[in-house]
Amino acid sequence: MQPRNLIQSYLVDMNTYDEMYNNSSIRDHYKNTVEFLEKLSIDDLNKKEEFAKRLFMSQGVTFTVYSSGEGIEKIFPFDIIPRIITSSEWDFIEKGIKQRLKALNFFLKDIYNNQFIIKDGVVPAEMIYSCPHYLREMQNFPVPYDIYVHIAGIDLIRNNDGSFYILEDNLRTPSGVSYMLENREITKRIFPYLLPQSNVRSVTEYPAILHRNLVSMSPQQNKNPTIVLLTPGIYNSAYFEHTTLARLMGVELVEGSDLVVDNHKVYMKTTSGLQQVDVIYRRVDDEFLDPLIFDPGSMLGVAGLMSAYRKGNVAIVNAVGNGVADDKAIYTFVPAMIRYYLNEEPILKNVPTYQLGKDEEREYVFKNIEQMVIKKTNESGGYGMLMGSAATELEIDLYKKEVLQNPRQFIAQPIISLSTVPCYMNGQLTPRRVDLRPYALCGPDGIEIVPGGLTRVALREGSLIVNSSQGGGSKDTWVLAP
Amino acid sequence: MLSRVADSLFWMSRYMERTDGILRMLKINYASSQDDIQDFSWKPILKIFTFLNDESANALAHDTRGVLKYMLIGKDNDNSVLNIVTLARENGRSVQDHITKEMWQCINDFYHIMRQDKLADMIQNEDPISTIDHLIKQELLYFGTTDVTMARGEGNSFINIGKFLERAIQSTDILDVKFSDINYELDKITDTTYWKYLLKSISGYEIYLKTYRSGFEAKNVMEQIVLNEQFPRSVLYSINQLHRYFERLKNDRNQNEFHQIDFMIGKIKSQVKFSTSDSIINDGLHHFLNETKIRLFEIGNQLNQNYFAHA
Repeated sequence: MQPRNLIQSYLVDMNTYDEMYNNSSIRDHYKNTVEFLEKLSIDDLNKKEEFAKRLFMSQGVTFTVYSSGEGIEKIFPFDIIPRIITSSEWDFIEKGIKQRLKALNFFLKDIYNNQFIIKDGVVPAEMIYSCPHYLREMQNFPVPYDIYVHIAGIDLIRNNDGSFYILEDNLRTPSGVSYMLENREITKRIFPYLLPQSNVRSVTEYPAILHRNLVSMSPQQNKNPTIVLLTPGIYNSAYFEHTTLARLMGVELVEGSDLVVDNHKVYMKTTSGLQQVDVIYRRVDDEFLDPLIFDPGSMLGVAGLMSAYRKGNVAIVNAVGNGVADDKAIYTFVPAMIRYYLNEEPILKNVPTYQLGKDEEREYVFKNIEQMVIKKTNESGGYGMLMGSAATELEIDLYKKEVLQNPRQFIAQPIISLSTVPCYMNGQLTPRRVDLRPYALCGPDGIEIVPGGLTRVALREGSLIVNSSQGGGSKDTWVLAP
Repeated sequence: MLSRVADSLFWMSRYMERTDGILRMLKINYASSQDDIQDFSWKPILKIFTFLNDESANALAHDTRGVLKYMLIGKDNDNSVLNIVTLARENGRSVQDHITKEMWQCINDFYHIMRQDKLADMIQNEDPISTIDHLIKQELLYFGTTDVTMARGEGNSFINIGKFLERAIQSTDILDVKFSDINYELDKITDTTYWKYLLKSISGYEIYLKTYRSGFEAKNVMEQIVLNEQFPRSVLYSINQLHRYFERLKNDRNQNEFHQIDFMIGKIKSQVKFSTSDSIINDGLHHFLNETKIRLFEIGNQLNQNYFAHA
């Protein structure tokens, strides 16, 4: 087998930024890895791909799909070729995310307290009050250290000139970090020796930093607070992540039914009676957290949790009500927030976004719908969106009707030609589009971002949608040391 | 430890122990079925390990491949190895942060092996002993991994409580069914191979040969399976171990709950320990086994209430 085939058939789209190739030569930061890969035969690579799948399966890094009464274990597709980010690119990203997160935290504190940003006319009041994730229950409640966003998974993409854009701020219960950690472990196994010789920065600090921050959130400032990770349970598609994080941090993994609130304090039911809980890292969404306050039918939450929270007897991470800051309509105002709260120019750009609630912007979008992607402001995971370039006329018509019923619930963005990276498919490298989700951790001592993140990849040829629910996969993400 | 976690560890362990029992039973009875024994019937096995009624059990009793399929991978059999391993895995999955990663991978691998399509093919077309041995190895790997990696804390205690409670119930059940087959008439002379295969199926053949020099006698077989403290599958050994691990749960915060169950285990332990094969026969073997079983079930129920928050 001729190993050269691996690269020779790599066809880069002219209107797309490819992270490995630049004018038919390999960018410096990819050279070492490509050299390494070229020494391997197709057979070797296929074996490694198979080995990776087996490792995921055996470790139970799977999610369960239920059909006809029985569960089928699936793994999230993993591409074995790492995605590489240079240290200067990373510095830029890191600075940009820290700046943005700082402003978003100020925004949440402001919006749930004095609301200066509304009074000063930077964000219109109706944008806030029409947002379903704005929770009055959080009004005038001082959260510990004024931190609302303890964990953020901010999505970045690169346009055809290679510059980074913020696509989405995930400030509620961002998931996927276990894949950042697990993908790295898999790379260690399938490409022995490659990591140390490639000067790749480690991501293993993540659980330790998160744990340290959780400890510092404890309302009772004792040395050994009881911290729990609240999961919706084994049927949740991110359950593997919940167990992984609980294990790596050595905290208790609990379900709603393990907890009980008595006299505004939260307890867990143990084999030797009730034990008070100090910090809850919850992976249950706001609306299911407390059936007394939110969805009364929720079996995932704990009755009375919000009262315990508001009494200051338990810390909840991330804070409740963050959805008002990562709503897709509020997103438009983040650059203004950065200027307003920090008096700085935004480092990372927003993708231009049109509010369909505004008549002239909606008209513009409808006119240019082939170049637009329209999204619902309160949906995520790639659901409920319309890709103007790929939709049929009928689909567009139906979608327009839906928009007109409630225009505030929709935004539109020009379709960005996401950057491509090499993926190993059918015995050769082919370019596929990616995004990047680094995980930022916010504690009393500031914001820390482990050098890495989750690279999601649209595995279907030409596809721009990277969400796992829409046929996306993931890659190990390398940040190189300077 | 969370009550839910203790509950899951307990059941994960019970299911793994049950799997082990079923696999050994199947292996030896299959061998026995090939040993030129006229009219070999699977009925006792089906009575012990499945919920089939008499009619269905009779229908299946002489179909060895059918029984293997039903007991190993029968989806409609709640006690098939496939279904039990699935349950063990579900329990293990929800307590992954309380067992070691190695244990989880071991149970998870076992589960994936049970789900392979080729297993049905192997049962149909290949040597069943090899197939069952392959599965027993997974089971042994689990026991070994647990022993070598699991921290000796509360979790380990619940794992062992589940394991030995299950084993005590299983041994009692096996004896009861095997002796009901001969109407509890211990002096009824039957083919000695009957006892030989029973002993082999619970790994008690060699120890029997070393203990009793006079050949196979029903009374001795019963004595070994109930009373021999050195035999790891005897009722007494299992109850001793159950007690040993239960005693480790004692702490200052749950004294009442602890003493209630400690009393129950202590009582059944004394009742078995201070029996002899003669006294058991005098009281009636079935009566003795049935009483023992009821006490063991009661202990399980009380654990549910006092430790697993299923009040």
